[in-house]
Amino acid sequence: MHIIDRYAYNNRIRNVEPAHKASLSLMVLLLCLMLNKPLVGLVAAGWMFLLAVGLAGIPARTFGRVLLAETTFLILTTIGVAFSISTRDPGSITDWAWQLGPFWFSSSPDSLYYGLVLVTRALGCASAMNFLALTTPLVDLVDLFRRWRVPPLLIDLMTVIYRFIFVLLESLDRMYMAQDSRLGYHSYRRGMISAGLLGSRLFIDAYQRSQRLQIALESRGYTSELRTLPSRYKDDRTVLWVSVAVAVSLLLVWAVGNWVIGNWIIV
Amino acid sequence: MSFIKRIRWGWLLAAAMLLSVRVAWAYPIAAPPKMHIMEGFLPLGWAVFWWVVALPFWVLGFIQVRKLIGERPELRLLLGLAGGFVFVLSALKIPSVTGSSSHPTGTGLGTILFGPFVVAILGTIALVFQAVLLAHGGISTLGANSMSMAISGPLVAYGLWLLLKGKIPTWLSVFLIAFVADLSTYIMTTTQLALAFPDPMGGFMASWLKFAGIFAVTQIPLAISEGILTVLIFNALQTNATIELKQLGLQEV
Repeated sequence: MHIIDRYAYNNRIRNVEPAHKASLSLMVLLLCLMLNKPLVGLVAAGWMFLLAVGLAGIPARTFGRVLLAETTFLILTTIGVAFSISTRDPGSITDWAWQLGPFWFSSSPDSLYYGLVLVTRALGCASAMNFLALTTPLVDLVDLFRRWRVPPLLIDLMTVIYRFIFVLLESLDRMYMAQDSRLGYHSYRRGMISAGLLGSRLFIDAYQRSQRLQIALESRGYTSELRTLPSRYKDDRTVLWVSVAVAVSLLLVWAVGNWVIGNWIIV
Repeated sequence: MSFIKRIRWGWLLAAAMLLSVRVAWAYPIAAPPKMHIMEGFLPLGWAVFWWVVALPFWVLGFIQVRKLIGERPELRLLLGLAGGFVFVLSALKIPSVTGSSSHPTGTGLGTILFGPFVVAILGTIALVFQAVLLAHGGISTLGANSMSMAISGPLVAYGLWLLLKGKIPTWLSVFLIAFVADLSTYIMTTTQLALAFPDPMGGFMASWLKFAGIFAVTQIPLAISEGILTVLIFNALQTNATIELKQLGLQEV
């Protein structure tokens, strides 16, 4: 979490208008979902990687790490999609079947292809969102939500939650270290008791902080809304032009895969 | 493919898997604890469907929160802190029954403290933050994930709370609520996956059992651990935080 936040505040396109970055990411996300072809997903992931590393100056390792954060889910679920288990002989549907006791494990070219579509689509979409996450800090996104007329109540909640995630996380780390250094987590039982204490203390900490913040804000004339000056952004259209290029290339890849090579082939 | 090549590929695969595990454990906060459906994993139709299903609950939750704040403006910041608390609680490492450690979802405790509609809103904001700050879950799957974690879990838990209140010891109902909230998140996500990816052989049911089996290994121990943890937190709160609980309107507990 700290890693993503650090690069979000400190990259080469930090000051680019967040609407441009968000529309690039959302567009790639939508195109990947709508076109739904393995090659489109791969090209999208490649584009986002290039842009994050080349344009924004995010280290390649960091981008890869963030992208791999959900590999376990991806691998497990794709295995679930690509293989079926049944108690009947699946011979009528596919030849790729293995018997193990009373169960039949089977797969088919179709399910494997679908698994491939899923992995590449998820990679393309995830890298598009990670590009946004790594180049745009949450304050800019909240600023964007405000311009998109998200209700001020939600904006306020988001602002306060964002701030206090880090404050409470620091509390949590300190308390955890204090407990851990006193062998608070040396066994399952002890660990549970320590975690329970930690959770309740954290609640009290959060509660009292909210009361203090309330007093501090009220004494400064807080009545309904947290108002801040809107940020100023650079007048730079690079990301917009890049978006057009990305959209055109994704559509081209899709069209080539569809009409020239034919639907049956793997791309 | 030659034997050597096969071994090489095997190593590569093992290395990639280890890497992902290492990434997951290197940052206690970045571990993938919950069953969020990954960005782009659901087909467009299902992604839109779950957004549409979740929408009325979001509106209802928003109306509830606005009413609450209209009556008691001083709760505005407390709700923000509650959101931060629920988010950070999910970063807490707890020992799991299987020996590894896992992370609680915090929705059970959140429901007891703040009610299901407030948790629906706070949980959805937390999901947006997890997508943007942790790269978990996503925007296209926000509807589905929010339905399973922030809406169905808390609603089931709240129903159970109303049903059981006063009939069985408080600790038992607190355990059951946290346990069931976790479990219903797991069941809901499994259902969503099975609906989107029915099995070519056995259809929806076969697919449901398949996904349920895959995730049972991590999710059921997690639900038990979270149940125990929530009881411990709740007991500690009753002795340490009586004043705060009273101000939240939980004095009847």
